[in-house]
Amino acid sequence: MFSILSTLLATPGKQANFWLPKQASTVAQSVDFTFDVITWICYFFFFSITALLVYFMIKYRRKGHDVVAQGPTHNTPIEVTWTILPMILVVIIFVVGMRGYLNLREAPEGSYEVQVTAERWQWIFNHPKYGVTEVGELTVPVGKPVRLLMASNDVLHSLWIPDFRVKMDVVPGRYTSLWFEATAVGDYNLNCAEYCGMDHSKMFATVHVVPEEKFEPAMVKLASEYEDMSVGQLPAYAINRLYNRCKSCHSLDGTIRIGPSFKGLWDRVKGGDVKFTSGEILLDLLGENTEYVQPENYIRTSLVDPQGHIVQGYLGSMPSFQGQLKEKQITAIIEMFKHLNEVTDEAGNITVNPDGTPRN
Amino acid sequence: MAILTTPQSTPEVTDNYLNHTKGIWSWLFTLDHKRIGMMYLICVLAAFLLGGIFAMLIRFQLLTPDGTILTQDQYNQVFTAHGAIMVFLVIIPAVPAALGNFVLPIMLGAKDVAFPKLNLFSWWLWVFGLVFFLVALAGGVDTGWTFYTPYSLDTTTGMTGIIPVLIGAFILGFSSIFTGMNFIVTIHRLRPPGMTWFKMPLFLWATYATAIIQVLATPVIGITLLLLIVERTVGIGIFDPAMGGDPVLYQHFFWFYSHPAVYIMILPAMGVVSELISVHSHRHIFGYKFIAYSSIAIAMFGFLVWGHHMFTSGQSDLMNVIFSLITFSVSIPSAVKVFNWLATLYKGSISLNAPMIYGLAFIFIFTIGGLTGLYHATLATAVHLHDSYFVVAHFHYVMMGSALIGFLGGIHHWWPKMIGKMYNENAGRISAILVFVGFNMTFFTQFMLGSKGMPRRYATYIEMPEFQIYHVISTIGATVMAVGFVLCAIYLLHSIFFGRKAPANPWGGRSLEWQCTSPPPWDNFAEQPTVGDCYDYSVLEWDPNEQGYHWRDDVKHPGE
Repeated sequence: MFSILSTLLATPGKQANFWLPKQASTVAQSVDFTFDVITWICYFFFFSITALLVYFMIKYRRKGHDVVAQGPTHNTPIEVTWTILPMILVVIIFVVGMRGYLNLREAPEGSYEVQVTAERWQWIFNHPKYGVTEVGELTVPVGKPVRLLMASNDVLHSLWIPDFRVKMDVVPGRYTSLWFEATAVGDYNLNCAEYCGMDHSKMFATVHVVPEEKFEPAMVKLASEYEDMSVGQLPAYAINRLYNRCKSCHSLDGTIRIGPSFKGLWDRVKGGDVKFTSGEILLDLLGENTEYVQPENYIRTSLVDPQGHIVQGYLGSMPSFQGQLKEKQITAIIEMFKHLNEVTDEAGNITVNPDGTPRN
Repeated sequence: MAILTTPQSTPEVTDNYLNHTKGIWSWLFTLDHKRIGMMYLICVLAAFLLGGIFAMLIRFQLLTPDGTILTQDQYNQVFTAHGAIMVFLVIIPAVPAALGNFVLPIMLGAKDVAFPKLNLFSWWLWVFGLVFFLVALAGGVDTGWTFYTPYSLDTTTGMTGIIPVLIGAFILGFSSIFTGMNFIVTIHRLRPPGMTWFKMPLFLWATYATAIIQVLATPVIGITLLLLIVERTVGIGIFDPAMGGDPVLYQHFFWFYSHPAVYIMILPAMGVVSELISVHSHRHIFGYKFIAYSSIAIAMFGFLVWGHHMFTSGQSDLMNVIFSLITFSVSIPSAVKVFNWLATLYKGSISLNAPMIYGLAFIFIFTIGGLTGLYHATLATAVHLHDSYFVVAHFHYVMMGSALIGFLGGIHHWWPKMIGKMYNENAGRISAILVFVGFNMTFFTQFMLGSKGMPRRYATYIEMPEFQIYHVISTIGATVMAVGFVLCAIYLLHSIFFGRKAPANPWGGRSLEWQCTSPPPWDNFAEQPTVGDCYDYSVLEWDPNEQGYHWRDDVKHPGE
């Protein structure tokens, strides 16, 4: 029994099996070891109980209507044994599980830190070391411990990377954390596991595990790539790198979500064809000696002070991006609005790569 | 069909609780525990139908990765409705309120529960709670049956059913508390001479343990829901971090009730199964005292383990370790019960009729449900499996596969007593097997879904199309199960009108309810019943004329 057990128990870098997905982090191994220990105990009890159940069903099946079935009514030694034996087993399981768990909770010294913000329904990853913000994507180096410090902007969320076997709730009003060390280069699913409202099932991100020598260049590129771009290159950059932050509320195909669609937005703004909850109309606010001398100013204000004017029919739940966007990134977003039909198709699909080349 | 042509040999209709008084008002305002039990049964089965329709909507939605019939918003409301209805309106009242009300006083040898008027009031409260649930469904609730904060406090989602559903659950809680109080007092005060604690059938021990939890734990959820209502309407900051509250505090309050509540659901079903296994194998229950004490142990330990619902909530590592350790303590009495049932079957005379198939199915399913609980008590694996389909599969194995299958077994066991008619035995067997096979197909696949990475409460799984095959198998299983339930409804309804008249004791049971006629007379027992060993079947013999069992002529009644 134990020889079979030891050969079948977790081996490093294991591929997906009948029960579990592939292992792609250091902690996955100890979690899977615990899983396998329990599974073998379960197999033993399940098959023993089922075998006896079926055997008794067949062997002692009633023939006719005879009443008398005589058997022992109790047997204290046996009953005490089958009370004590499971107690010993569960203590073993508890200890194995606790050790695995403490391993899961204690991030090693000097872990690479990423700040995670969860909000309905997107994951925002901030790399303080590089000043990079990723949305819906998290790039991390392989073979290096990474610690996620997590906060929520609204309700409960839970960050789960099944292949890494890590999960932690993201709670508004406090920080939580988890850590992992990826063991294989590749892309992994990151899901929201705590129900958070309408698009809970779409609150998804991809973890890109890259070789360590490629990680730093990737971060540097993300941090500064827009700085050297000409204005003509900015729409492609914005739609790929910045729109992620907008997409849970603003569609590209005309669908109304939490906020107005970006489709045709520039024409509406330029024409002043926007009504606000205050009763004002944008047309009256545009031009010399008014609030917005240029229509671009209105968009800029909407980004840094979204509560200033709320469009009729919407709740005005947009957060401020003051300080989060560099001036050139705001310009990039405005350029994206102006040239939206050059970077997306009718159905709202993005048609270009960040460097402006067409997407296949 | 044979059952249609069997002549009714007794033309005179004996006076019983069904025909003692007539008219709808004689039912709605009855103080008779049997009628109240039947009214609960009808309402619970209606709620089960409703919850079942929502379950099928969930299963068909998940046939394809991008969903088939519902939008995200609709799906969220459907799974909330399914969970809330099945928990608050079906599983919690199913065995205690429906079967318990009918069976408990007769089994005990009493004429009624201790407080018949309170009992009727409980039922009316229950109906009142049901009305609030229906209002809530119309308004829309999308929080999940757990009402986690701060999402449940968010007034911008356009869901207007949240306050009604909270009020409904609050009212249902009081119905449950009153029923529990009634049962505790009944068992303490109304036992006839000779019915000592250790002569009580095990169903009564289980109901007693359940009643203790109902009385002690339910007030906590009542207060919690009330706080939630106040916070949502008036805006005091208890659970909402935006107002200085703590959302994790809500989880502590909620699970302080809702974990014991899973024992409100499973303990009575375990009690039913103890009866089923013994009666239908005509074998003295093995280890009576261990089973009786294990019910009490489960009720006690059940209060100390709520924190295992919160291993990833941000509660401290030390608390997680402590809760993990205590949680394992619940597994011991559960395992003891399974071993004792198995030992009862040993050298039994096992009749594979419909109630017994449900009883045996319970042992099989509860074994899986119980063992998979180990993964959730263990910290390292619980983190990975928390809020995944593995949990969904686990609690359906326990709540549906065990609690509800126990309830169905109980219905089939006591149906001849409740209605006075026999159902078609073969249809009963086929239906039980369909439910068993369908159930395992539906939920076993969900273990693999969860451990491989499918989160729960997902309306779509576009990014994880590899999971489709599991969802398809699961949906097929759910359909098989639905066919089993429909068949069950057909032959049970058929038996009411066309069934063969039931003998007093069709299965050869020994507890007191089998000593009165089927259906029981208005006041249960004309004279004080005599109490003996309720698991000693050697005093009974088969009577082919009656198609049932009666007391052997050569054996004296106890006390004679």
